[in-house]
Formats: sequence, C-alpha cells, structure tokens
Amino acid sequence: MKIKLTVNGKKYQRDASETKNLLHFLREDIGLTGTKEGCGAGECGACTVVMNGKTVNSCLILAVEADGCDIQTIEGEAKDGKLSKLQQAFHKNHAVQCGFCTPGMIMSTRALLQTTAKPSVEQIKEAIEGNFCRCTGYQQIIEAVQDASGQLKKKEGLKRA
Amino acid sequence: MLQEFNYLAPKSKNELYTLLKKHAGKSRILAGGTDILVELHNHWIAPANLIDIKKIKELQGITFNDSEGLSIGATTVCIDLINDKNVKQYYPLLADAAGRIGSPQLRNRATIAGNLCTASPCADMGCSLLALGASVELGSADGVRVIPLKDFFTGPKKTQIKPHEVLQRIIVPAEMAGAKYGMRKLKRIKGHDIALVSVAMARTKSVMRAGIGSCAPTPVVTGDLSPKATVATVISAVEKVVSPIDDVRASREYRLFMTRDFVEKIYPELF
Ligand SMILES: Cc1cc2nc3c(=O)[nH]c(=O)nc-3n(C[C@H](O)[C@H](O)[C@H](O)COP(=O)(O)OP(=O)(O)OC[C@H]3O[C@@H](n4cnc5c(N)ncnc54)[C@H](O)[C@@H]3O)c2cc1C
Ligand code: FES
Repeated sequence: MKIKLTVNGKKYQRDASETKNLLHFLREDIGLTGTKEGCGAGECGACTVVMNGKTVNSCLILAVEADGCDIQTIEGEAKDGKLSKLQQAFHKNHAVQCGFCTPGMIMSTRALLQTTAKPSVEQIKEAIEGNFCRCTGYQQIIEAVQDASGQLKKKEGLKRA
Repeated sequence: MLQEFNYLAPKSKNELYTLLKKHAGKSRILAGGTDILVELHNHWIAPANLIDIKKIKELQGITFNDSEGLSIGATTVCIDLINDKNVKQYYPLLADAAGRIGSPQLRNRATIAGNLCTASPCADMGCSLLALGASVELGSADGVRVIPLKDFFTGPKKTQIKPHEVLQRIIVPAEMAGAKYGMRKLKRIKGHDIALVSVAMARTKSVMRAGIGSCAPTPVVTGDLSPKATVATVISAVEKVVSPIDDVRASREYRLFMTRDFVEKIYPELF
C-alpha cells in the first residue's frame, strides 16, 4: 500500500508492505536504524518513537497505520554536526552504558520535554515507565533529563569520572 | 515481517458492517493493536483480514449527557479518557483505571473497547467499568444490541461478541456520575505490569459495587449492594464471585488475601 509520512521533518512516500510494522519499515525501508528492536511485543520500549506528538511502541503499529503521520526518531535529535541538548545531557550524566535502550529513552523523554519544560522526578519516572534499561539503574537517566531541563544542581553524591 | 493478511480500513460504520459480514470468521478488528500485534508477532493468530476501525468517525469520541450518561466510542484510547473533562468530573474511577494500564506508549494507543474485547481476566477497564454498571453496544449489519458488561464476558478471552459484530461504544449510566470510588492494583513492579489482583469499587446514594480483576476466568462484579452495606457484607459478596487460581504469578491464597485487603482499604474511601 502506498503511504506518505513525515519522518524527522522530511517527507517520504513509499510502497509499504501491509504486514510490516513501523519499526521494521523505519529501519529497512527508510534506512533509519537508530530505533531498536528489543522484545518486538510492547514490553521493552526500545522501539519508542514519537508519532503525532505522542510516544508509541513502533513494534506494535503497522507501517500502513502511520500513513499521513508525523514521526520523530532518534535521528532527528542531532543537527548540524551537534548533539541535541538532551543527547549531550545523557552523555554528560553517564545515562548510557550499552546504549541499546537509549534511542527509546531519548524519544520518551523528548516527548515529555515537548509538553513539560521542567518535569518533576515523578514525571520523568512516569515518562520512562515503559522503557527498560538493564545497565544504568535509571538514576543517571533521570539526572540527564533534569540536566537537560536546567534543573540539575551541581553534582552531589557520587563523584563520577 | 508478520504473516500475510489484507489490511482494510473502512471509513464508515456501514462499510465496516459489510466487511465484517463478508469476512466473518476470517477477519479481526484492529484498534490500537497493542494486543493483536503481539498475537500476530507470536503467530498465535492468522487472520486473513485485519480491519482497522480508526478511520471511522462514528466510532470516535467521548460524550456525556444527563440522561444516558457517558458514551465512550470504540476508538477512544486510554490517554483520551484520562484527559477528558467529563470523565475527570463525573467518572474519575475510569481515568484512574486507564492510568494503570501498561506504559505511556501503550496508553497512547490502547483502546478501552479493545481492552474489553480481549477479555483478559486482568483487564483493568473491565473491573472498573463493571463497578460502574456499564453496558456495551454491539453493532452489525443485522442491527444494534446493548448488553450489560457483566454478561459480555463469557470466559478467558471470550465474549458474547459475534464474528460479524463490532463493539461500537461503551455506555456508563448517568446514575453513576459522581460516584465515590477507589481502586487498587497489585503488581510485581511499579511501572508497567498486569494485575495479580485488582479491585475497583464505586458507590452512589443508591448502590455500591466492587469489580475484581485477575481472580476469576473473567473480570467479575458483585451484585448491586446497598450503599449502606458493611465491609463484611461487601467481602462476602466479593468472595461469592471470585475463584482465583494458582499460577506463575500468584497463589490462590495470596490472591484471596489481597482481594479482601483491598476491599478493606477502599471501603472507607467510599464514604
Ligand atoms: C506490554 C503490555 C502491557 C500491558 N499492560 C496492561 C495492563 O496493565 N492492563 C490491561 O488491562 N491491559 C494491559 N495490556 C493489554 C492491552 O494494552 C489492552 O488490552 C488494550 O486496551 C487493547 O486495546 P487495543 O486497542 O490495543 O486492542 P487491539 O489489539 O487493537 O484489539 C484487541 C482485541 O479486541 C478486538 N477488538 C478491538 N476493538 C474492537 C471493537 N471495537 N469491536 C470488536 N472487537 C474489537 C481485536 O480484534 C482484538 O482481538 C498490556 C499490553 C502490553 C503489550
Ligand atoms: S521492541 Fe517494541 S517494545 Fe520492545
């Protein structure tokens, strides 16, 4: 089926297989492999993208359902050779270890920051409820989002290299 | 790649009725897809046709009026319910329940009607809508019928819905507007997880009910209890309708214990 959609501000027109999910469509048909597949079944959040302003699991959506939609993926973050402020905050606060969950984490927190400029810790935790990270223990991710929204006080506690 | 199927996206209710009749038994309705895409992914089902109902305007939206009550269109997703001002004002139990489903990503896609049609024993919208005495409107080329939600569920993943029917909307009676309410959901982790036990209770000047999830083959509800019923009466009414099993997630005894505990905790919140 012919579909039109916007990904990271760029318009695409493709003949999408009806049986392909949006995740595989983005990776294979558009060539944007930043979005990851963990479970393929809505559990892990690695495949999170922002669709019409809302986070979704791209593994649970057919590509043809995204016809006419506006999609944001991790590839939309860095611009003009520079990481986004949110990406920089993830880097600076050691919110990344293996990095597999990171694209999903960034998209979930990106959607949060789009509606809430200064989210509380509770709001940050809720926003990443559907994103599993098996390395960091989440604390650094929460701090990264606080930092990106200008809310992180000078590092107390753990001294990090 | 998922197995082969045709994707159909009717734009009106009549078009949907025709497709459902034509492909009865060989098609599945696609709403938010959060259950059905998992089933397709795991090769548990192999429908020849997937009929997407999200483009049908007549199935969209939430409305409220004093005579009928609240009407929740089939394509309404959890986040719509959570943000709806009538729901917030008159049926806050529903926003509470919808907020307990899955993760933000799921709440942005999962429909309330889909939650009922999947008919999982743990369906969070099941126990809350049962406590509010909701009904469901089923439509097809043969006509429209409205049945009480308590008669809708017939077994785990089984409902009264026929292959050529669609659940068009959910109706929550006007008498339940402003009901006092409380809900508890027991899960292994804070964050997204399905219920080991869930209890939702609602009370107005004329009735009190408790809906229970994950404690019987379907979500279940007590009969209409007096709004003055004691906590002991409510517990014994609950014990009559539940029949929990041992499974990988919890034992029968733990479920019974927590059901009673939740009723005791919610009860004072209803006064
Ligand atoms: C990781 C994960 C966590 C979850 N957590 C929870 C949870 O905490 N609590 C909970 O209750 N559920 C949970 N769920 C289940 C799921 O999200 C819900 O059941 C959801 O509400 C289903 O709605 P949907 O629109 O996505 O349905 P779909 O997947 O589109 O459809 C579900 C089923 O209902 C049928 N159907 C849908 N709409 C209609 C209609 N209008 N008429 C007739 N048939 C219809 C479909 O054919 C299909 O069989 C979870 C799911 C996942 C993947
Ligand atoms: S890959 Fe989509 S949620 Fe895990």
